[in-house]
Amino acid sequence: MVYDFSVVVEKFPIFVPAAIETLKITAASILFGTVIGLLTSFCRLSKLKVFYLPSTLYITVIRGTPILLQLFIVYYGMVGLVRLDPYPSAVIAFGLHNGAYISEIFRGAIKSIDIGQMEAARSLGMTGFQAMRRIILPQAVKRAVPPLGNQFIIATKDSSLASTIAVRELLLKSQQLGSSTFRPMEYLIIAGIYYLIITTALGYLVHRLERRMAVSDRLG
Amino acid sequence: MEVAGLYKSFGELEVLKDISLTVAEGEVVVVIGPSGSGKSTLLRCINFLEKSNAGDVTIDGRLIERKEKTINRMRQEVGMVFQHFNLFPHMTVLGNVIEGPIQVRKMKKQEAVLLSEELLEKVGLLDKKDEYPAMLSGGQKQRVAIARALAMKPKVMLFDEPTSALDPELVGEVLGVMKELAREGMTMVVVTHEMGFAREVADRVIFMDDAKIVEEGPPEEVFNSPQNERTQAFLSQIY
Repeated sequence: MVYDFSVVVEKFPIFVPAAIETLKITAASILFGTVIGLLTSFCRLSKLKVFYLPSTLYITVIRGTPILLQLFIVYYGMVGLVRLDPYPSAVIAFGLHNGAYISEIFRGAIKSIDIGQMEAARSLGMTGFQAMRRIILPQAVKRAVPPLGNQFIIATKDSSLASTIAVRELLLKSQQLGSSTFRPMEYLIIAGIYYLIITTALGYLVHRLERRMAVSDRLG
Repeated sequence: MEVAGLYKSFGELEVLKDISLTVAEGEVVVVIGPSGSGKSTLLRCINFLEKSNAGDVTIDGRLIERKEKTINRMRQEVGMVFQHFNLFPHMTVLGNVIEGPIQVRKMKKQEAVLLSEELLEKVGLLDKKDEYPAMLSGGQKQRVAIARALAMKPKVMLFDEPTSALDPELVGEVLGVMKELAREGMTMVVVTHEMGFAREVADRVIFMDDAKIVEEGPPEEVFNSPQNERTQAFLSQIY
């Protein structure tokens, strides 16, 4: 037998620190990306060019170039200006990357709320800000949950790219152990199982959240 | 309340041509006319949900300046009821009604709840206060929407085709609440196709066609002996 799958079981636990590193990069870039995304979506919805144009440029550039290139630009390209460690580089690059996609998710969700909601809120005398915070956003966030969950799963998988700049996360760990023991497949499978566990758990959490938020839609 | 020289166009399309209208305190004005005649736009221009190109709105002797702050303050005095209810689906019935008083009038929650329960009682829906709008019928939704507008204690109520989206058997309950309001002396401007309501409740009927007020007068005059031929044509199509 070419493969020895007992290695998978035996070495599975030693990947825990790497998995935590993967979770850390993912969580930080999701958090960072959500904040940027929310702000950018407001800019994109603004009628004012000072907000609209830069935010549109940002989204066009991020969505139109490879994420690996973006990571390299932050890690290698910025060297002349500032020297960043691998971990912060990954968080910045992935945060900016996710921010662009999350912004479009929020923008779509906000735009999908019936115009009558804004009108009803304003007709009560609410300011635009109050109407957004109290009436539009709570409904929009609910609609954004499924696509956000999807984006978070993508972000988890994309975090593996950080292995290329020596962040000690799951993929790098499996590559290192794989080449030093001449058993790449076994270690790659271990990494794969960890990714599956993380993304499945994330999918389940999003599903739960979706159901909990659907209370007001439920009929009698 | 007074509207003077209101003009509004969407690009080439003129939807309001020099509309002037005075509504006295406690008066019920019903606006009728074919679709596309500018009735709804007139209502929406009164509380600036639509920005008119020219013209002034005066409420309670105060000219409404076209400034965000003034408009927001004015809207507290002018309740609006929409064709499609526009209840806030993520809030309970009670939540919908207390929202305005708490957020805009800065009322204490307890006080807002008391006021809102009183209003829900009035529209006959106190027992539904903890339900979400999705569980209500169209007629019930519209009655909640009326309670929500009333919770701001407005001086004027605007109704934009409040029964047009309802199943026929649900129209009566909404008109009933509106009649009650009229009897209590609320100043109301109602855009509707309910001619029975106009006849019974209106102090004055306004017929609009082609972006203009074509004819106005007490309901018996407008309905029984319309002067303008377009009013005649419109009414003969309905009856």
